[in-house]
Amino acid sequence: MKEISRRSFLKGTAATGAALGLSGSFYNFLFSGLEPAQASDETGIQKFQNACPRNCYDTCSILSTVENGILTKVEGNPQNTFTRGRLCAKGYTYTRRVYSPDRIKYPMRQNGRGSGNWERISWDEAYTLIAKNILKIKKEYGSTLPICLNKYSGNFDIMHYGIEGMLSSFGNTSRATGTPCWPAGIDSQTFDMGTIVNNDPEDLVNSKYLILWGVNPAWTSVHSMYFVQEAQRRGCKIVAIDPVLTQTASKADLYLQIKPSTDGALALGMARYILDHNLIDAKWLMNNALGYNEFFDYLKNNITTDWAAEKTGLPKNVIETLAREYATAKPANIWIGYGMQRHANGGQNVRAIDALAAITGNIGKSGGGAQYAHLETWGFNYHAMVQNKPAGSAGSGDRAININNFGAEVLAAKEPPIKMLWIACRNPMSQDPETSVVKKAFEAMDFVVTADQFFNPSVAMSDIVLPVTTIFETWGVNVSYWHYWLCLNQQAIKPMYESKNDIQIAMELSKKMNELEPGSCTFPTSGDLKDWVGKEFNTGIYNQFGISDWKELEKGPVKTKAGHVAWQDGKFRTSSGKYEIWSEEAKKFGHLPLPVYREELKPANEYPYRCISPHWKLNIHSQFQNLDWMQAINNAPFIEIHPETAQKMGIQEKDNVKMYNDLGYIVLPAKITETVAQDIVVVYEAWYKDKNFNVNYTVKALPADMGKKATGMPGMAFHDNFVNIAKV
Amino acid sequence: MGFLVDAERCIGCHACEMACKNEYQSEPNVRWRKVYPINETEYSLPERNHLSLACNHCEKPECLRVCPVRAYTKREDGIVIHDQGRCIGCKMCAMACPYEVPQYNVRLKKMEKCNLCDGRLDQGLKTACEAACPVEALSVIDFNGFTKYGFVIALPGFPDPSITKPTTRFIKPRIGAQVRRDQ
Ligand code: SF4
Ligand code: SF4
Ligand code: SF4
Ligand code: SF4
Repeated sequence: MKEISRRSFLKGTAATGAALGLSGSFYNFLFSGLEPAQASDETGIQKFQNACPRNCYDTCSILSTVENGILTKVEGNPQNTFTRGRLCAKGYTYTRRVYSPDRIKYPMRQNGRGSGNWERISWDEAYTLIAKNILKIKKEYGSTLPICLNKYSGNFDIMHYGIEGMLSSFGNTSRATGTPCWPAGIDSQTFDMGTIVNNDPEDLVNSKYLILWGVNPAWTSVHSMYFVQEAQRRGCKIVAIDPVLTQTASKADLYLQIKPSTDGALALGMARYILDHNLIDAKWLMNNALGYNEFFDYLKNNITTDWAAEKTGLPKNVIETLAREYATAKPANIWIGYGMQRHANGGQNVRAIDALAAITGNIGKSGGGAQYAHLETWGFNYHAMVQNKPAGSAGSGDRAININNFGAEVLAAKEPPIKMLWIACRNPMSQDPETSVVKKAFEAMDFVVTADQFFNPSVAMSDIVLPVTTIFETWGVNVSYWHYWLCLNQQAIKPMYESKNDIQIAMELSKKMNELEPGSCTFPTSGDLKDWVGKEFNTGIYNQFGISDWKELEKGPVKTKAGHVAWQDGKFRTSSGKYEIWSEEAKKFGHLPLPVYREELKPANEYPYRCISPHWKLNIHSQFQNLDWMQAINNAPFIEIHPETAQKMGIQEKDNVKMYNDLGYIVLPAKITETVAQDIVVVYEAWYKDKNFNVNYTVKALPADMGKKATGMPGMAFHDNFVNIAKV
Repeated sequence: MGFLVDAERCIGCHACEMACKNEYQSEPNVRWRKVYPINETEYSLPERNHLSLACNHCEKPECLRVCPVRAYTKREDGIVIHDQGRCIGCKMCAMACPYEVPQYNVRLKKMEKCNLCDGRLDQGLKTACEAACPVEALSVIDFNGFTKYGFVIALPGFPDPSITKPTTRFIKPRIGAQVRRDQ
């Protein structure tokens, strides 16, 4: 492309300069009720390193601009070669999040949970109320086990694990355990390879064939999409397998509209073809794998491509061509998404896909592999998290409450019952299945404390809300579960209003508890947040990233020095050290040892449609879609319905549709589109401000098959949600 | 001088649009750039494709022609500049522009639009939207000297270019193969 001549631009600048920016920066802050002087005493323009801590593959490195103490702009940090100086639509709204008039500004007490009757209280009043409740519970029940923490992925900064530390520091407590997102797949790869490790996503460009299997990076990992498209430009064929024609599938060379939850059948059908046509990598298997002969016997005795075709809804010849292309392109890569494992057979399906990568010898290769996620760069000290319980704490340890059936398990907990909730970095009233049961659990409590930034549905069901800082108002450190960068998060501006970092809250609460009952809380009562960051580092991290002091990160993010091709050394972390197609460990957890097919759930007559509730591009769960810049683009949920289904049900574009099952219903406008199949409807999960919309009203707390080994609890079969629809 | 919008690369992610707002800290409902979905029935197979559009810096800008106070000027390099200092907020330009580009700022009671990041370009920087696009689907080209073939002057949904002669150019989306259960 021809370079643009810059000279021509220089003319005419003066005329326009004055107008530019007039619509801009500082007016909006005044509207948010903030006077600039309050924001900071600093003057001039400063730049800071920040990191986006959201539950997102990309964990972007941010450069923020602060003018006279006000955050005026965020940009991607070009030093990070994965995010390449770019953020996503969500990341670019951060100024609106910081200066949103909707932010929770002060500690507040609600007189009547769910009443909306909030009154401002001081931090000291809040700490006193909370501390007294904790101590009262401890006295009454003889332990702090009636106190339950539900904290997860709203902020993945390492220091935020200090919230768990805060609970530990006053005794044994109950903990929402597990993860709604990805546990079935984690267990699958743990059985197969010993843990999850993915190739550096920047390595995607080296693939010759890439199957994007139940993953939609165009919406959930926009920076990966560059590498996917770059691979495509270099001649790699991109195949998207998904029950929904996603944005990613729209950019693929080939889209396969598979029947939901039958991914394992497709993988096994392909494996059978690969075996029959001698396209396996026998040498790799001999050197690296266990149980492949048993697997091949299973394939020969039980699997045919005809069967796979019937199961998946994909023609036999398509499956065979796919198998041949995948097995003969070297290297061939598969990216396994979290969506495809949110089924009752999700874990087993992931094992079958892993096996495809193994029998073709693609594991351990640049441009190859079975990508899922990794935790290789997460070896911090967890200094904030690891706290001693007070001497003589009653109870033998923390009590696990299944995060994926939170409402019911909180209500069912006995000896002692659960009486108090602490909610942080989470919004279970929006994101958990069986919302009505979750609500009952909140209602049954004596005391609910939530630390958050916005008045979301969980805050609405709390007694006390504590305002927490945004990333720009505090310190932190971030790594990714996908790429291999490490990024410091510097405090760029003073905390708005009376917001505080969760660690600060823990320190001050500890102080109050010790005032009221000396020795009742071991959490440090003072400390500098920047120093807390430093205490998370160790020589392991330093060596991995080639730095000698964490303060070097003030100059910018750094990447790991090695280990960018997963399993390249062939040292699997299973007990045998091999890739275990036959897994004794799986057996121990009640699964069949081989990646055999486990029947998918099918719709019943009464509820003939499967509702898939994936991520939406303008939010991450209940974050971002509430901000005014997002609302200007879209401020209404909708239901995607196939034209034939719509016709059959007498539904037209924008008609209000009731989607229901025995659990509940939602009403939302129809979007008629062939991106979904006739037997599927799609509703994107999100929290919209001031809207009584929540797809989880209809979602049962149905467990996925796996997750218990690695995360303590099975995953959630979010996409096995069967419903009916009607025009209203 | 104008935008080249590569609809094959574009993933409709709105990063460009939001980066523009971030750069200028725009009012919530003022959208200098907008990402529009292309109706899925426009192509042989349903796909999710988009057009990311801002001011088209037209060769015959209607906004400029109708503005009673000459708030619009066209630079030598082709950029159509709206000077908010002169603007009286009469909305004539909004009515005249076929692309719904000039946006009314309720608070200032004036119009505003994309000035092609003239300040950034003059400093040798890329426009905020181009710099933000994760898949490099947007660029600014000097289309007089642009020799690469394969671009078109309109895609489905883009209003008739004959009136104002926009400088925006497009690359068509490639439609991939699909194996669907409804066939
Ligand atoms: S949400 Fe993800 S892609 Fe967007 S800025 Fe944050 S880390 Fe980056
Ligand atoms: S940022 Fe790029 S890919 Fe995203 S909508 Fe804009 S032009 Fe399209
Ligand atoms: S797109 Fe509209 S506002 Fe922009 S130059 Fe053309 S007529 Fe004027
Ligand atoms: S060129 Fe600049 S002003 Fe115009 S749309 Fe892009 S970012 Fe906005």
